[in-house]
Amino acid sequence: MSEFRGYIVRRTIYAMITLFLTITINFFIFRVMPGDPVSIMVSERILKPAVVEEVRAMFGLNLPLWQQYILYIRNLLIGYLGYSFHWKEPVINVIMERMPNTILLMGVSTIFSVIIGIVLGILAAWKRGTKIDVTILTSSLTFYSLPVFWIGMMLLMLFGYYLGMFPIAGTMSRPPPEGFFERILDILHHMTLPAITLTLISYGEYTLLMRGTLLDVLTQDYIVTARAKGLPERRVLVRHAMRNALLPTVTAVAISLGFIVSGATLTETVFSWNGVGRLIYDAMMMRDYPVLQGAFLIISISVILANYVADIVYGILDPRIRYGGQGA
Amino acid sequence: MPLLQVKNLKTYYQTARGYVKAVDGVNFQIEEGEVFGLAGESGCGKTTVALSIIRLLPPGGRIIDGKIIFNDKNILTMSEEDIRKIRWKKIAIVFQGAMNALNPVIKVGDQIVEAITTHENVSKEDAWKRTEKLFEMVGIDPSRAKDYPHEFSGGMKQRVMIAMALACNPQLLIADEPATALDVIVQAQILKLMRELQRKMNLSMMLITHDLSIIAETCNKVAIMYAGKIVEYADTKRIFRDPQHPYTRGLINAFPSIRGPKRKLISIPGTPPDLLNPPSGCRFHPRCPYTNDKCKKIEPELKDIGERHYVACHMSW
Repeated sequence: MSEFRGYIVRRTIYAMITLFLTITINFFIFRVMPGDPVSIMVSERILKPAVVEEVRAMFGLNLPLWQQYILYIRNLLIGYLGYSFHWKEPVINVIMERMPNTILLMGVSTIFSVIIGIVLGILAAWKRGTKIDVTILTSSLTFYSLPVFWIGMMLLMLFGYYLGMFPIAGTMSRPPPEGFFERILDILHHMTLPAITLTLISYGEYTLLMRGTLLDVLTQDYIVTARAKGLPERRVLVRHAMRNALLPTVTAVAISLGFIVSGATLTETVFSWNGVGRLIYDAMMMRDYPVLQGAFLIISISVILANYVADIVYGILDPRIRYGGQGA
Repeated sequence: MPLLQVKNLKTYYQTARGYVKAVDGVNFQIEEGEVFGLAGESGCGKTTVALSIIRLLPPGGRIIDGKIIFNDKNILTMSEEDIRKIRWKKIAIVFQGAMNALNPVIKVGDQIVEAITTHENVSKEDAWKRTEKLFEMVGIDPSRAKDYPHEFSGGMKQRVMIAMALACNPQLLIADEPATALDVIVQAQILKLMRELQRKMNLSMMLITHDLSIIAETCNKVAIMYAGKIVEYADTKRIFRDPQHPYTRGLINAFPSIRGPKRKLISIPGTPPDLLNPPSGCRFHPRCPYTNDKCKKIEPELKDIGERHYVACHMSW
């Protein structure tokens, strides 16, 4: 097991390095963008140059770049992400206010698409070449390749507008209903259509991946060995085939889990869902750099963390990985 | 009563262009304690015979006709559940190229334990102890049972496979090209190990190979297969001393002899036939130096020419 500890240490160091590089890039990317953030906040034509200079100093924008960078790192270490130009409150508050909505929507739809995708993928591989396989394959590919906003608008039109089964916009009713459970039900009611939309476009990825790897694994020699050993078919499938076939899927799932906090800009916009995806869109329109920078940072950290966890899980599932990659 | 009798076995593969007649009317039998060799070129149907015996044909493969009698019971009419109980417990198999025959994500010891506990009502601890004994038997340090397949060399993996094959004391061991993917030195070690174990345990064995020198060293009886059919079948000594079929002669001539006089090796001209549309008459006739009209039209029967030496050829020798 000691080589496994070494593997974890290595992975941790890599994750730290990646994190540091991301933070640095995140800093400089906003410095090389055209335009002075102050000029967006205040009109230089109205204010006196001395006042503009005051505002610049307030945000530390008058300092040399390297000092700004050190300041930025120091602020990050104490958890300060800056102050929003537009919303006039700390960036962390602006993002965290919308984070629960996004995590709820993305979390639920990711979980559903992973489960549906993997189950359908296994079924398709198991029933290879039959009508079941063809049906699963065709529908997965169709949904996977449809534009997400189109599916969203179609669902809205059919179930929201014509049938009136679901609300057509928002995260909850205004005013919100009384009582805790009524509120939960209200949010779930609002969430149904966007969650279905996101599940529909993303489950196909897992289906195709799972089907492909499982079919590949099922032709391997060790599967023939497992059958020759007289193992029951179920055990061959679960213990010998699935564990090997799950490896690529683990990576795919981990990466999408990392993106849960980023929200889905298009879907959130179509359904007026008050989440991080829409926040990014709004911040972009308002040139609210601190909010964008903060959102990017949180997304990056989350993706790095998810990949780190995936690496560890992969190491547990596949002993070959622990040695620094002899590969499959 | 022989341990295994294969009677008129026909196994075809269904493809888009028709049936590939991989095994087309094969007969042989294996007595208890006997080592039976099945030899022939790549693609002549040897492996298909082995897979038919344990009924594990790849998709598209179908047994069309014949009987496989093992311990007085026809394997081909058994239920899936009954054949499953015979696999490994009664008939174990060591596959060609053990490189990928072990599951990469499971400890080798656990893979052997699994074989034992599937067929016998023993605790995991006891199965693990037996696994360690098996490791000793095949010449591997028992502590390595906790390692994963990628931590073993090719020869070691094949030793693990042999240990696994013997885990349930099978009545019949099928070894399909057990040493082919290994280098010559390791090949010799593996074959030596198999011969020793066979003698010690009085194992019945079916050895499939394209390498006649392995047959000569290991087998009591041998069948030569060509294009899905057995063309010659006799005691190993007889076949090497007095080969009858032109194909057998060709095969023996294609191997050098260390002690004999130096001579030019003669290879058999031509390539193995397409089993989708096998040649008419004798399947070897397009490559045979003695072909006449009869060979092209009539398929020769496998005839006993005395002392249980069977040959399928129209020429009388």
